[in-house]
Amino acid sequence: MFALTVRGVVARKTRGFLTALAVFFGVAMIAGTLMLTDSVNNSFDDIFSESNSAVDVSIKTRETIEDSRGALPPAFDAAVLESVRAVDGVAEAAGSIFDPTVSVLDEQGQRVGLTGPPHFAVGAVPDRFSPFNYIEGRPPETADEMAIDNFTAERESWTVGDTARVAGTGTAKTYVISGVARWGSGVELLGASLAILTLPEAQRLTGKQEKFDEVVVAAEEGVAPEELKLAVQRAIPTSLEALTGEENAAEESQEFKGGFGIISNSLLAFGLIALFVGGFIIFNTFSITVAQRTREFGMLRTLGAHRRQILGTVLLEAAIVGLVASALGILGGIGFVAGIIALFQSFGLDIPSSGLVISPRTVSIALLVGVLVTIAASLAPARRATRVTPLEALREPGGSHRPSRRRTTVAVVLLVLAVLAIAWGMFGTDSVGSAFIFLGPGILLLFLGVALLSGRLVGPLSGLIGWPLERLGGVPGQLARENTQRNKSRTATTAAALMIGLALVVFVATFASALNKSATEALDRQFSSDLILSNSDQFTRIPTQTAEAVRGIEGVAFVSPVAHGNARVQGVSGTQAVSGLNPESVVSAFNLDWREGSDATLAELGDTGAIIEADWGKDNSVAVGDVILLTTPTGRDASYTVRGSVRDKPGLLLSTFAVSRDSLLRNFGVDGDSYTLVGFIESANPDEVEARIDDELAAAFPTVESRSRAELEADNRQQLNQILVLIYALLALSILIAIFGVVNTLILTIHERTREIGMLRAIGTSKRQVRRMIRYESVITAMIGAIIGAGVGLALAIVSVQALSSEGLVLSIPYPLIVTLLLLAAVAGVAAAIAPARRASKTNIIEALLYE
Amino acid sequence: MTDHQPQDESPTATGPVISCSDLRRRFGEGGAAVDALAGVSLEFPKGELTAIVGPSGSGKSTLLHILAGLDRPTDGSVWIDGIEITALDDRELTDLRRDKLGFVFQFFNLVPVLTAEENLVLPVKIAGRRPDPVRVDGLLETVGMTDRRTHRPSELSGGQQQRVSIARALVTRPAVVFADEPTGNLDSKSGADVLGLLRQAVDEFEQTVVMVTHDPRIASYADRVIVLVDGVVTHDGRVQSADEVHALMQIE
Repeated sequence: MFALTVRGVVARKTRGFLTALAVFFGVAMIAGTLMLTDSVNNSFDDIFSESNSAVDVSIKTRETIEDSRGALPPAFDAAVLESVRAVDGVAEAAGSIFDPTVSVLDEQGQRVGLTGPPHFAVGAVPDRFSPFNYIEGRPPETADEMAIDNFTAERESWTVGDTARVAGTGTAKTYVISGVARWGSGVELLGASLAILTLPEAQRLTGKQEKFDEVVVAAEEGVAPEELKLAVQRAIPTSLEALTGEENAAEESQEFKGGFGIISNSLLAFGLIALFVGGFIIFNTFSITVAQRTREFGMLRTLGAHRRQILGTVLLEAAIVGLVASALGILGGIGFVAGIIALFQSFGLDIPSSGLVISPRTVSIALLVGVLVTIAASLAPARRATRVTPLEALREPGGSHRPSRRRTTVAVVLLVLAVLAIAWGMFGTDSVGSAFIFLGPGILLLFLGVALLSGRLVGPLSGLIGWPLERLGGVPGQLARENTQRNKSRTATTAAALMIGLALVVFVATFASALNKSATEALDRQFSSDLILSNSDQFTRIPTQTAEAVRGIEGVAFVSPVAHGNARVQGVSGTQAVSGLNPESVVSAFNLDWREGSDATLAELGDTGAIIEADWGKDNSVAVGDVILLTTPTGRDASYTVRGSVRDKPGLLLSTFAVSRDSLLRNFGVDGDSYTLVGFIESANPDEVEARIDDELAAAFPTVESRSRAELEADNRQQLNQILVLIYALLALSILIAIFGVVNTLILTIHERTREIGMLRAIGTSKRQVRRMIRYESVITAMIGAIIGAGVGLALAIVSVQALSSEGLVLSIPYPLIVTLLLLAAVAGVAAAIAPARRASKTNIIEALLYE
Repeated sequence: MTDHQPQDESPTATGPVISCSDLRRRFGEGGAAVDALAGVSLEFPKGELTAIVGPSGSGKSTLLHILAGLDRPTDGSVWIDGIEITALDDRELTDLRRDKLGFVFQFFNLVPVLTAEENLVLPVKIAGRRPDPVRVDGLLETVGMTDRRTHRPSELSGGQQQRVSIARALVTRPAVVFADEPTGNLDSKSGADVLGLLRQAVDEFEQTVVMVTHDPRIASYADRVIVLVDGVVTHDGRVQSADEVHALMQIE
């Protein structure tokens, strides 16, 4: 039986190939993602253990609460260095600066590189500690010199002797490049730029005079790092933490790995979607071939093969196909890695990869997942094969297909379960994590249920789509329509594979369009200022002095800086982002929607008052008059009394609660504003005021850029679109698999109908007409998938938007996109039919009529 | 076949290999019900070639299916080699088919992806045993397929395919070989070859063969002809010629 199965797979190569293709893409995505993650993690491990190789002990501020804007924990007093040097066993110690809030600027004053990755100011340390290898030149020796990392130097074509400007918290300055340096073995840190300055100059530029971000220590010979760490820890304040070089490397590496973890998890999710879609194709292929091999199974049963043996041979075939496809998928994963790196590069994110890592874990997971999906998808067809009776071997070839009534029952049960899971995920639970646990499987069940039920929709839909085709194409059009209805569940499953991809695209597009619309509406409603000032990387904080400087410019009516800091709040789980407002000016910049209190409440805010976002208060049982107890990132405990509540959805100004900006800057260790809002005097010419502000910013705060509300909205839209393009690109693979599924079904059914096609040719149907018939059949199938998919996607989006309406989400259906998708599906149908149609039109009439 | 395989000829050599009593088979229900078999009792002794003939709809195929355990009677019972097969469940029936029965089909039913030789040994492989090369060579020789043993069915003529399928039916030394219109899809020359092979199996190896045919000429090669009309046996015995069979089939 084994040999029979293997022979069968080898003999039916085309079918095997197309089936394998369905598994191949999903496995390639999963294997590729695992390889990429391993490679990236390895690169980070390598680079940080290299940069820490000379460090026996490292001292940093103990991080209690992670910062929302990527800033490292606050710098500490430089005096610590003296205490460390006094510890027994310390051979050498040095303070350093490693600050991600600066901007390296090009000749035009623009931030170099791509939006997103941070720019670091690094304080030069003694040679033994330095993680840098100088390719050209030397480290900076005076306050007017800097060294630059090799990747930035290459991008900007900078060499030793050129000048470059770096802006930071302190006054921006132009430096002469003294050297080009490589960090360790030279792996790119997710596209970051590094400006290496002398230590005092780094401290000045980052506003960290008399402070360090880190102190690095080398032990005397014979002193174990572990031992020295304990000794150092005793000599420094408890707000600081001593780690061995190894521990420090692991921690630094972990931070970057965590950043990449989000990407790799999303990629894995897309891989699973692709496999799920592939499962439909496998199910369909095996269903069709099992039906076509009815007589063969019947004959094997007459020869004495047990049901178990029939089941075995079908499942074994599935396992072989799955195994081969998964093995190829692992190879394909290598290509996927290259594709993903290129894709992310085009979005400005460089993924470090010092070498491709194919771990045994990757191989075994990829093989296991691929084989299991193939076997699971072929289980139902295999069971159907076991129900073939020996008598069926004696019947005339061909035979009727009876649609299963159980299918509908199963579909209804699945749909009910899906609706329950989705409803529970959306409304029944508060935590995002458990919402996803219900939503993910819920949506999969929904797809399965719809796929099973869609057999019922094939009739009406193919009638609808087929009608114009029949008018256009005559008899072939009519035959095409009838053919798609001949075996409705087969058409439905083929269409379902396409349905999934389209449903997800429509869902994502509709949801994104809702996000866009609600953000724009919220801006229109709440935003009453003319300009918003923020860091040109759209992420890092801007110097607090910016607000003061802009306030003095002619034509400016008000300036309202907004800062954010993280805190842990007693009685509330998770880290909370707290807003810091300027009580005097915020009412000019924002229309606050007061629930309790009024604009006058802000005047009483003082150092210990807070206003809460109404929904956040309700969810966390915090009301006006209550006291909020919290711990800030500097480890300080603070308490605020709630004075009022406002409604702010989707959290433009505050998502939890707000305190005065002065109090936030003091208590939270925050040294910059997230953004600053500026309003103009009504009589002033807005263009002139904006020009004056831009001049001031360019001169004193090159990291800050100004944007009007229109620009802000456009930027928001563009950012969202970037993410959308990425999602579409990844979903495209699933859609591609589904299109292969259409090709596969067509080829199999043409094979099944060889005799019939021969007959059509014999009675005078032209080759062109045969091709047209197949093509229309393909278009009808694809359109059925697209229409059902668009419906499911829209339904999901509408329900999701409804569920989030309390968060300020407003429905907005992207009709043009949906129409485009439907047209594209028709085009895909035509494309899928090319090869099958050619094959069908080449049918030899005599042979086909003798065909058995 | 392995050596310790029990020999078929020993204990029941004298009694009939197959027998059935009062077989009835009804298709459909109520007014639309059709009695394909209306009380058939027969015995088939060892080493005989029996032909069941009758016009279409006479119930001859139904009789064969039930004798071979492929279909179940509405009433009545069938014994093969002393076992009442009408009392067996699906698993036991499968084993019986595998070990004691051989089949030859109208449409050959060879597995298209296997070679002639591989098709021939398929029943042995399904049973999880190793084919005996001497026996395989002998069978290939007998059916005249030695030089085409590596050919796929698509590379063989209809007659050649049917010869392979006869060899396949014989490979397990079954108690009975059932043949369902074995020449139905063949030209007369190939049909005669195939029939000659079945005849040879009966004469040289004492094989019991039961075949269904609607062709009087084919039936006249048999040791015994059973004529079935409307589910009832109307003739059972030797015949001299095709014309006689033809005449028997015309009788109401």
